[in-house]
Amino acid sequence: MKIKNRYITKSVAGVLVALALSVTGCKKFLDVNDNPNLPEEVDVPLILPSAQAAIAHVVGNQFQIYGSIWGQYWTQSPFSSQYKVIDQYQPSSSSFDRPWGILYNDALEDLQIVISYKDQEKYKQYAAIAYLMKAYNFQLITDAFGDAPLKEAALGDENLNPRYDSQQEIYDSIFSFIDQGLALIDPSSAFAPGDEDLVAFGDDDDTNKMEEWAAFGNTLKLRAYLRLSEVDEAKAMAGIAALAGKPFLTQDAKIKYTATGGNQNPLHAEMVGLGRTQNLVASATTVDAMKALDDPRLPVFYNLAADTNIVLPIPQGSFNTTPDFEPSIPSYVVGAHARNSNSALAPVKLISAAESYFLQAEAAARGWLPGNAQELYEQGITASFTSYDIDPGTYITDVVAQWPAGTEAQIEAIITQKYFAMCGNQGFEAWTEWRRTGFPSFFVRSEASVLGAGLFPVRMLYPNTELTRNSNFPGVKTITERVWWDVK
Amino acid sequence: MRKGLFLLLSVLFLVGQAFAQSRTIKGKVTSADDGQPVIGATVLIKGTSTGVVTNPDGEYTLQVPEGSNTLVFRSIGMQDQEVTLKGSNTVNVVLHPDVTNLTETVVTANAIRRDKSSLGYAAPTLKTEDLTKAQVSSPLNALAGKVAGVNISSSAFAPNSSSRIVIRGGSSIAGNNQALLVVDGIPIDNSSIIGGDDSRSSIDFGNRGNDINPEDIESVTVLKGPAAAALYGSRASNGALIITTKSGKGRQGKKNEVTVNSSVTFSNVLKLPEFQNEYGEGYNNSVIDPKENWSWGPAFDGEMKEWGQSINGVRLQKPYVAQPDNVKNFFETGAMFNNNVSLSGAGEKTTYYLSLNSLNSDGVMPGNYDKYNKYGVRFNGSAELSNKISTSISVNYSKVNSNLVQGGQGEGSVYDNVIQTPRDIPLDKMGDLNNPYYSMGGIFDENGTEQYGYYGAYTISPYYILKNYRNENDVDRVTGNFTITYKPLEWLDVVERVGADIYSDRRAYKYPKFNFVPADDAGNYSKSGNVHSSNGKYGEDQFNLTEMVHDLMVTARKEFNPDFGASLMVGHNVRIRNFNTLQTQTNRSTGLVVPGWYNLDNSDGPVYTFNERTTRRLVGLYADLNLHYKQMLYLGVTARNDWSSTLPAANRSFFYPSVNGSFIFTELLQNSSISNILNYGKLRASWAQVGNDANPYLLATYFNKTDIAGGFGNTTFPFNGVPGFTKGNRIGNADLKPEITTAYEVGTELNFFNNRLSLDFSYYNNRSKDQILNVPIAPGTGYSSKVLNTGEVENKGIELGLRGTPIRTASGLTVELYGTYTKNDNEVIDIAGGVDQVVLGGVGGMSIVAAKGKPYGTFYAQDIVRDPQGRVVISAADGMPVLTSTAVYLGSYNPDYMASLGANISYKGFNFGILFDTKQGNEFYSRTKDIMDFVGTAPETAAGGRDARIWENSVVEIEPGKYVENTEYTYYPQNWFTGKIPSGQHVIDGSYVRLREASLSYRLPAHLLKRTPFGSASIGIFGNNLALWTASENVYADPEVNSGGASNEQGFDFTAQPSLRNYGVNLRITF
Repeated sequence: MKIKNRYITKSVAGVLVALALSVTGCKKFLDVNDNPNLPEEVDVPLILPSAQAAIAHVVGNQFQIYGSIWGQYWTQSPFSSQYKVIDQYQPSSSSFDRPWGILYNDALEDLQIVISYKDQEKYKQYAAIAYLMKAYNFQLITDAFGDAPLKEAALGDENLNPRYDSQQEIYDSIFSFIDQGLALIDPSSAFAPGDEDLVAFGDDDDTNKMEEWAAFGNTLKLRAYLRLSEVDEAKAMAGIAALAGKPFLTQDAKIKYTATGGNQNPLHAEMVGLGRTQNLVASATTVDAMKALDDPRLPVFYNLAADTNIVLPIPQGSFNTTPDFEPSIPSYVVGAHARNSNSALAPVKLISAAESYFLQAEAAARGWLPGNAQELYEQGITASFTSYDIDPGTYITDVVAQWPAGTEAQIEAIITQKYFAMCGNQGFEAWTEWRRTGFPSFFVRSEASVLGAGLFPVRMLYPNTELTRNSNFPGVKTITERVWWDVK
Repeated sequence: MRKGLFLLLSVLFLVGQAFAQSRTIKGKVTSADDGQPVIGATVLIKGTSTGVVTNPDGEYTLQVPEGSNTLVFRSIGMQDQEVTLKGSNTVNVVLHPDVTNLTETVVTANAIRRDKSSLGYAAPTLKTEDLTKAQVSSPLNALAGKVAGVNISSSAFAPNSSSRIVIRGGSSIAGNNQALLVVDGIPIDNSSIIGGDDSRSSIDFGNRGNDINPEDIESVTVLKGPAAAALYGSRASNGALIITTKSGKGRQGKKNEVTVNSSVTFSNVLKLPEFQNEYGEGYNNSVIDPKENWSWGPAFDGEMKEWGQSINGVRLQKPYVAQPDNVKNFFETGAMFNNNVSLSGAGEKTTYYLSLNSLNSDGVMPGNYDKYNKYGVRFNGSAELSNKISTSISVNYSKVNSNLVQGGQGEGSVYDNVIQTPRDIPLDKMGDLNNPYYSMGGIFDENGTEQYGYYGAYTISPYYILKNYRNENDVDRVTGNFTITYKPLEWLDVVERVGADIYSDRRAYKYPKFNFVPADDAGNYSKSGNVHSSNGKYGEDQFNLTEMVHDLMVTARKEFNPDFGASLMVGHNVRIRNFNTLQTQTNRSTGLVVPGWYNLDNSDGPVYTFNERTTRRLVGLYADLNLHYKQMLYLGVTARNDWSSTLPAANRSFFYPSVNGSFIFTELLQNSSISNILNYGKLRASWAQVGNDANPYLLATYFNKTDIAGGFGNTTFPFNGVPGFTKGNRIGNADLKPEITTAYEVGTELNFFNNRLSLDFSYYNNRSKDQILNVPIAPGTGYSSKVLNTGEVENKGIELGLRGTPIRTASGLTVELYGTYTKNDNEVIDIAGGVDQVVLGGVGGMSIVAAKGKPYGTFYAQDIVRDPQGRVVISAADGMPVLTSTAVYLGSYNPDYMASLGANISYKGFNFGILFDTKQGNEFYSRTKDIMDFVGTAPETAAGGRDARIWENSVVEIEPGKYVENTEYTYYPQNWFTGKIPSGQHVIDGSYVRLREASLSYRLPAHLLKRTPFGSASIGIFGNNLALWTASENVYADPEVNSGGASNEQGFDFTAQPSLRNYGVNLRITF
């Protein structure tokens, strides 16, 4: 019996010791939940380019496609089907999940992080750029969707259901972001970002980029105030008057792409992903208007039709009719030629030099900014030709010679020429300016339109993700409901 | 009633009775199981104690006095058999094993053997014969229809295809809902990592649970609820399959046994879609367009017409008629060879089991491209080292080597291209890629541009895909464990078990780079618009798992008095799991540089990589107390505390208890007359909680390398040499708590008529709360999801199992019938404040969701509007149905009920088995239907012709809420099926009845084998997945095929590969 007891004592004790050891050693043993795969903190210079590329992806891909189809540069090919719903004016709300998500999740969130470092001298210039990009980002968002979360946006955990701000308030914030950005800019700073600032100004690498950023800020502000020209003229006028004498962009502010997979022009990358199917072809709306003026840019923006020496478009939205010729397609210079790999190299223009001059021309024509409107108009057209290295022949002289009298007619001339300059490279901005001004005046109803006569898409739809996940979502808007500044 | 049954049997099987003096009766007693003699069986004269015992040959001789005319045959583990003497003096008897043996032991959690009576929960057990009869290559599929409450989704029935096993419904919104697989006490991994970008271009590489060789399985116990599995803790909240592999046990004193089992299985496609055979290639009922994949052209007229491309000015000609079997004949008969050799034996203190197996298959796709090979070796051994220590070891190595075919709509999907073939194109005769008219590349124009001559501008030759697209898989896996048992005292034992599961799963994807323009010189094809082009791809994936489990269990037993006893076990568990993923591929946009060279060095631009290493650890302490009173009342209590590495330190410890009891009430009725009818009755009840931890690394928010996903193209960093990182889109949760599932269950087991009829019934209710869920949040937050403890899902239901033996005769005829019925009600009670649903899978316009108030796995899609009477509301604008303004809920993939019915009939050496099963009331989404509607090959696209017409039984809403019959607005079917039809119309009834298994085997009589070295030999024919009856609206696909593999994305036929009917012959010999 005694032996037995000793056995029991020993075994039980042994087990208990083993258990006790394993429990006390437990804590260390279990501290293995630090993620070895991903960092929780990274340096600011790594974050800024992510946000810039995200914005450029939306401008260069989704917004380029919607803008260029609704802006009637391009239309759906009868030989394929990807963008039929866009030409039919009936996209689904979930089509906008992705651009909205990129602008908020990928861009805004990262810009906020960069801005949060604005008090450190080392990162001040990064924060300056981030403020300007944030202003640019919100103008994209609100011009596309109208009211949108701003004050309560990108707060993560702190607010899971951000309330929407009115477009009017968003514009106020845009001006404020630009001012805060400009205030931080110091062209002599030793900490200005290098290559990690992806935005290039023209093709000259020797410029002081922070000075260019200041010009970018001023030009963006001009563009934003002009957007309010119809809804709040007084405010637009005052805001623009304050810009007198400030430098504006004289170079394209753009992001350059390469042939490297993943670094390609985003529209071209999309086309490669779709098996290089050519969905986008030339729309007769633009082509006919440019042909009427013998525009030398026409065969640069579009390919000549097979076996011809002309650009052959099809009418907007006519994909249900199979033509007996192969329609012209947009060219590689705008990144839209699916089978031409040079498309990969097309830059995404955030604000073009031409646009800068046309904005100044409009402000001058309205008398809000000193300067000669006609001269600025000519500089705008010239900048467009220069940007693509095209010999204008007599085109510029001929067009400038037609400079009309009267503000309204001058604005029409400016916006129409801006429209040609933006053909296939700033589709969203061109469609947006058409919404503001009604110019160009030659838009037609898409043959595939499901909307009533005279109705056009005048906004993008709120994404399905907001509709289903945000308890403060203010309610759906149809594609024909105008945004606040769109009153003309 | 019992008397009645015997009377019936007498009338059926007894033919009179002879008068006799005292006489000598001789005979032989054999076992119905294996035909072997039963040694030591007692033969008694009924009503007396006079009797003899059979000799080693199973023979007996007995003097039976006059007046006695009934003999009783008895043997342990066999059912008693009474034989009424007739004229003959030779009485040979076949004894049947006692299938509902009351002393049956069941292997429960942690490989603990328990008396079945003592369990307070349902734990049905299947034996090797039940699993291997129909030669089903997946051990999970082999369970289908055999156990109530278990939902097996068997997918394509090919040796590679995934199967999913869910017990009592899905309870976890985001987690894995499958039962835990446990082999010889060690949980093993049952991952199913679908290949391809996602389920829309899925390659089914199978689930790791199917690595187990069914022939090695001795038994499978299904632990259905948390109560049964509480000792396994977190991972067993979905129940567990306790698999015990074969050993040499029971062969002490016998010679070693070698078993050879070989089978050849043929496969063909079980269910192909039905097709219309009235209209051919083209559109608008009038235009024949030779490049089309549409069958919306003119009606067939039988006239000779040209088709396809014009090459050198010549086009092919054929009569314009339907090719009714162009899809069916595309497929060939598959063949699979399955060979198993096993050796088992035992010494006085040792046992061993060694098995080798191979499975080699070439599937139903034409040519030798869809190959699947699997090899395995298993060794199980045990030895008693001294009186106090014994050890056992079990090791299994398996290897898979395969090349699989992609489904879905990716460019490499064969089936997607097959079913789009217009009805007049003789696809089955177009396999010769050297024929210029069927070619993809290989012909050149004068400029050296490579061309294709295949007719389709929108489809690619499936023969080209089979030949050029490869999805290779190579798996090496070792699982095993060793156990040391130390028994210092009669009442105390200590068991230490260490197990491991280690595998490497390597995949290589080889997709060609090509750029072909149409060869056509007749102008029917566009050289720029009808290009077939791809940048190609080479990808390598590696998944490596190492999982180690340790258990130390100390058990003390005490019988306090003859009636009352107890046992207490305390245990300690450690689990370490490392899972590493490395995925690489050539640049996702630009692909390969040199066509045909498959190596990462051939990447055009930066190689895409993804790698992730995860570690999780868990420590558990548990106790299990069992009390019993007589053989009548049993009580079990378990408690477990876990410490998990994946939860925040403050919440990482969690405790959960369970209690279960059973009452064998027939113990009180032993002397009552009821016991003649009800010979065994048990009531059982249990209540349990199980906690569950999180996946690793959910506590913090991280940065990712920047990769902006635009839809089909990405912007990826480094960007022109500049690196970039972005804040991740998931907000981590530093306050995460464990999930808790609470379950209760009541049930009964009743055996009637001396076990001739048995019934097992359960009612259960499971509630899972505080689920760890990555809840989608508004992107305006700057993030897209947040990890939360939220969500609650309830499952409740009934399970019924019935088994009866209506016929059993002394001559050896046995007819056994069995069936199961399962009804599970599933409801997502809550998700999270503000979020009403979480998407589990699906496509853009059709999601499979967990939605508040709906069953888990509900379809959510846009559909057509009906008036209150159910008539379709038509839009006056186009004559087609009005579509719902938002997506609507359209039923779930969960069946209303499942049932099965099977029979086993044996006579002498013959054994016939058959099993039907059914699922009713489940829906599934069929893209097969979607694409067939779109291309106009589905029967419904031609039903009633294709001219403009009025939608049958439709109405128009003339003012809100007021509907009048539509008599004027017409539409063209082509416009509906190619344009407006919403995804909800492709969610269809997935109900089915399936002839799941049938087999007939014959065992050669022992006397024929006497002069051979063979101990036994049997030959059989078998079939599985033999026939399928589906709902009338489902003319498209087997509703069990699934593009989501074994994931929570079920009922999702995204042009999934069709399921297979398998049948063949097998031979089993022992010597």
